Amino acid sequence: MSLIRSLAAGLRSLFRREQVDRELDEELTGFLEMATEEKIKSGMSREAARREVRLEMGSPEVAKEIVGAAGWESLVERSWQDLRFAARMLRKNPSFTIVAVLTLALGIAANTTVLSWISATLLNPIPGVAHTSDLVTVARGDHSDHPTPPFSYPDLRDLSERTQTFSGLLGYHDDYMSLTGVAKPERIYGALTTANYFGLLGVHPILGRAFLPEEGTPPGGAPVVVIGYSVWQNHFAGDPKIVGKTIQINRHPYTVVGVAPRDFTGCAPGLRAELWIPVSMDRDVWGFNRPAYRRTFWLNVLGKLRPGVTKNQAEAELNLLMQGIAERFPEDHRDSPNEISLDPLWRSPFGINDYLYKILPMLLGLAGVLLLLACANVASLLLVRSVGRRREIAIRLGMGASRQQIIRQFLIESLLLGLLGGTAAIAITVWTSRSLVDFFPPNTLPLTHNAHIDQRVLFVTITVSILAAIIFGILPALRSSSLPVQSVLKEEATSVSLTLHKGRLLSGLVVAQISLSLVLLVCAGLFTRSLQKAQQSDPGFDASHLLLASYELSPAGYTRATSVAFNRRVLERLSALPGVESVTLADFSPLSFSIHTDYLQIEGYVPQPHERMEISRAIVGPNYFRTLRTSVISGREFTAADTAESQLVAVVNQAFVDRYFPGEDALGKQVTDGGDRYTVVGVARNAKYRLLTYPAEPVIYLPIYQAYRFTQDTTIHLRTTGDPLTMASSVEETIHQLNPELPLFNVNPLSVTMQLGTLFGRVAATFAGSFGLLAMLLAAVGVYGVVAYTTRQRTREIGIRMALGAEKGGIYRFVLGQGFRLTLAGLVVGTVLGLAFTRLLKAQLFGVSETDAITFASVGLLLAVVALLACHIPARRATRVDPMVALRYE
Amino acid sequence: MKEQTGEVVQGTLDMLIMKTLALEPMHGYGIAQRIEQISKGVFRVNAGSLFVALQRLERGGLIRSEWKVSENNRRAKYYLLSERGRKRLSTETREWGRQVAAIARILEA
Repeated sequence: MSLIRSLAAGLRSLFRREQVDRELDEELTGFLEMATEEKIKSGMSREAARREVRLEMGSPEVAKEIVGAAGWESLVERSWQDLRFAARMLRKNPSFTIVAVLTLALGIAANTTVLSWISATLLNPIPGVAHTSDLVTVARGDHSDHPTPPFSYPDLRDLSERTQTFSGLLGYHDDYMSLTGVAKPERIYGALTTANYFGLLGVHPILGRAFLPEEGTPPGGAPVVVIGYSVWQNHFAGDPKIVGKTIQINRHPYTVVGVAPRDFTGCAPGLRAELWIPVSMDRDVWGFNRPAYRRTFWLNVLGKLRPGVTKNQAEAELNLLMQGIAERFPEDHRDSPNEISLDPLWRSPFGINDYLYKILPMLLGLAGVLLLLACANVASLLLVRSVGRRREIAIRLGMGASRQQIIRQFLIESLLLGLLGGTAAIAITVWTSRSLVDFFPPNTLPLTHNAHIDQRVLFVTITVSILAAIIFGILPALRSSSLPVQSVLKEEATSVSLTLHKGRLLSGLVVAQISLSLVLLVCAGLFTRSLQKAQQSDPGFDASHLLLASYELSPAGYTRATSVAFNRRVLERLSALPGVESVTLADFSPLSFSIHTDYLQIEGYVPQPHERMEISRAIVGPNYFRTLRTSVISGREFTAADTAESQLVAVVNQAFVDRYFPGEDALGKQVTDGGDRYTVVGVARNAKYRLLTYPAEPVIYLPIYQAYRFTQDTTIHLRTTGDPLTMASSVEETIHQLNPELPLFNVNPLSVTMQLGTLFGRVAATFAGSFGLLAMLLAAVGVYGVVAYTTRQRTREIGIRMALGAEKGGIYRFVLGQGFRLTLAGLVVGTVLGLAFTRLLKAQLFGVSETDAITFASVGLLLAVVALLACHIPARRATRVDPMVALRYE
Repeated sequence: MKEQTGEVVQGTLDMLIMKTLALEPMHGYGIAQRIEQISKGVFRVNAGSLFVALQRLERGGLIRSEWKVSENNRRAKYYLLSERGRKRLSTETREWGRQVAAIARILEA
């Protein structure tokens, strides 16, 4: 009650200042006049009475001040005055303000940029689903960054029926589908889902409804589809009556039952699905009947934990249930691991987060170091500036301002700088948050990039700006407010002792800047060298002069037999083109995350219990190894004669031999894949298909005419004599001569698409690199500023030295030496910090040690040179000091 | 600032003002005078501290104010004790009595 009244009165005096002032004035004047009259009555003269009252009561102005200062509103008002004063001070010194704000803006923007990516990917793993904290991914085997879909439908059904810890388990299988029967047929990434998919995620279609249980439960089911918002807009012009209409997917009719909300794009982080069909429709879309088989592992699974259940409890329960299932159906579970691991969605093994969660927090750490450096830089600027203001401060202290008031004034100035920096940082981040997209080469993956500034980013930016302001503002504020007022006001000669006093703090800040920039530069150097090593490493194939182009036959109506015939003709026609050295087909392309895996049984190899026998499997055409220039070490490669009628054959790579046939001759061994027994007829050199930074892993190659699975993309690999891109149009023509309606997609040189294989290395190197360069610039400015300032302070001393006969060279070395000592100290501290910091990067480095001496040494040298250059300017200036002028100066 | 603490025992000014106003509504000068008179000149109230106290009491809801015309035809802000103020005065008076008695006992012991 009284709080509200105080608040109301305070607000009234804040906003109706004049009226309140007038009333107080009137009251006080009245008071004094009454007192005076009283005195007159007792016989004093008017003049004497006035004087007496004044003596007794104090001046009315002071009384007014005291009364005015008593309420809480006066603090607000004083702060407002401080703020206006701070703004005036910053305007008065625009070069300082611009440098400080820019420095802070860059430091803060580095953080907010990385944060906007983290916010959009790790913290918002499934756009359109608000609460993902109780959702976990369910995967089989150890955590792996390339899990094949881990569950069969019958296993998932059994788990769902028995689990007590989950309120539900959903399964989905992502794949491309073709939207046909529309003006512009399009390949669209979509998902086959269990009926509870939308319900469990809590996603409500904006039109129509989600699947009914009877529509999505095998063996029953209905040809229904939920379409994505952009499909609805782009292909059906946002038709408000779309629900109930029939559309075609892979040439089969489906009834639209719902339209998904605009931001929902499925539940694999970073991948954009836009069509959803019940799992029971597998037969229609892909011609299989995968839900019927217990040993067909094809569904990604997400679970929603019951309230109060921990991840560990749920994991324990699912493992128990899975063990029971594996015991009941041993035949179906022998070849695959049956342990279950749960992951929160921010590091979901499905989708892009699995890569991002390793590098983004690291980049945030680097950005944090950069911000610290920026703070040290601004702190030294402030400190130097505060020396120039010590007369002003001394006067204010002398006039009775308290130390707190001075500190408050300084902190408010810092706060203003921080918030200006934060505002500029947000402007920069608007642009940089979208830059993650620029690292992606053209690819066949349906990647989404939705990084932008959201509330979370905004909130953190403001908090960080304020924190930074306190960090860089507090020391200069404390220092500046403890001035020996008398001596400052008396004369400027005290500057020598002041310089020494402040000198230590300033030197400390310079050392901090040098050492932090060393840390950042070392990280930048390590990432860059690691990326170079990766790019220079031999991938095991020759990417130059290779053109890729992909097509998909199954949605175009081909059967297994007709597609084999079509592929044969493609190879015949393309190899006849002028400028083509050789041509082949494959169901993947290197370094674009497109290689598939299969569970294999290998003759003579006894797996450990539940060892993951899931091995990379490439389906390739004749002349694959010749075209890619991957040499075949022993045996032979595939020819056009390896057909469905001939013996089933396979080629394996060296890593496969080392792992499964150590010390044996691999030729003639049998490998079983999906019930078919293949005989190894060749061993190829290792080639890297996933990431350049991964060690080569075992790969089995199967001939396309024997093992062809036409559900998957077929990619033409064309080795050209000239620039591969010049062949693009004739390749397209050739394909369209064979089938005018078959869309050809992702026509790109392999050297371009394989950039995806170094994506994360490039992100890390680019950002660490720009942080490092920025850090070096800031450190150079910092060293320059401080050395220039202290040199100026010592103009008189230098003048005296010169008057006493010091050589110019001696003066030069004297100033340079001062800067060099600081730099050296910074380098030593930085090396120690760097060694501690780079240990965290170890897992992300390739071909370079985290304590790489060359990197440390060259970065140290670079920084030393830059710092000396920064000292050179003030040192030169010092040698030009005219002793007479210098001595007269102060 | 030093003068004002010497004038009225610290923390008692509010109570003295409320006691004064308990007799009748009064303007600032009247309050100061009344306190000086009744204390036989022992306490002297400085204008600054008086108005700070009045502002504090008013915001606390213990007193109210209104502009009226004074006995010698001058516009003045009159303060009067609210019901809350009256209650507060009686508890504070009692508390004060207890404390003074206790202090007296200690000093006499």
